[in-house]
Amino acid sequence: MRVQLRFFATLREQLGTGEERALRAGTTVGALWESLVREQPGIGRVRVRFAVNERYVDPSHQLAEGDEVAFFPPVSGGG
Amino acid sequence: MAELFEIGKARIEVERLLAAVADPATGATVLFLGTTRNQNAGRRVTRLEYEAYATMAKREMRELAREARRRWPIKRVAMSHRIGVVPVGESSVAIAVSAGHRDEAFTACHWLIDRLKEIVPIWKKEHFRGGTVWIGPQQGSPEPPRRLRVNRGG
Repeated sequence: MRVQLRFFATLREQLGTGEERALRAGTTVGALWESLVREQPGIGRVRVRFAVNERYVDPSHQLAEGDEVAFFPPVSGGG
Repeated sequence: MAELFEIGKARIEVERLLAAVADPATGATVLFLGTTRNQNAGRRVTRLEYEAYATMAKREMRELAREARRRWPIKRVAMSHRIGVVPVGESSVAIAVSAGHRDEAFTACHWLIDRLKEIVPIWKKEHFRGGTVWIGPQQGSPEPPRRLRVNRGG
């Protein structure tokens, strides 16, 4: 299956805005994050939050074909 | 007037938010503005720079407005967050709430800005004299660079 990855803030600076990935069916968000950290260990220092199709999810969330998966640090909007 | 939940690079136009929450049944309107200040944690701030996951951020703002209307007898909510560079003295966020009476308008508006800062996917990078730093608990490491350690923004 293919999913679209998106990165924001510190993660965007390290990994770019995003990319498409081919994954095995049933891959969880947490497993995908672990594989990203293996590829680029420096990002493992970032506290990360996950969203799938614009909704927050836990690491155990299973991905599906066509999902948009966003990785970002804790938010800091507001004045 | 249509709902107003927006993320954009332009200066926030307060009048548009006030128009969006105007309603003849309301007797109180509360407007919160979050503004770039010239210092933070001992640093001389020159500007802030915001980034958003815009589609999700607008969805989350709508959800917060719905939740606020469930919790308090308020009438309308409008929220606007600026992205890109926000110079000192200009507003990065505006929230307007209208209600029959002031107590619920104040309470809901306070709750909305607190929740926005907790869950709406927007990030703030502070530019100060001598460097830049992303604001918020971005680093999970127990010992981030001391000089850049910041627990809370805004």
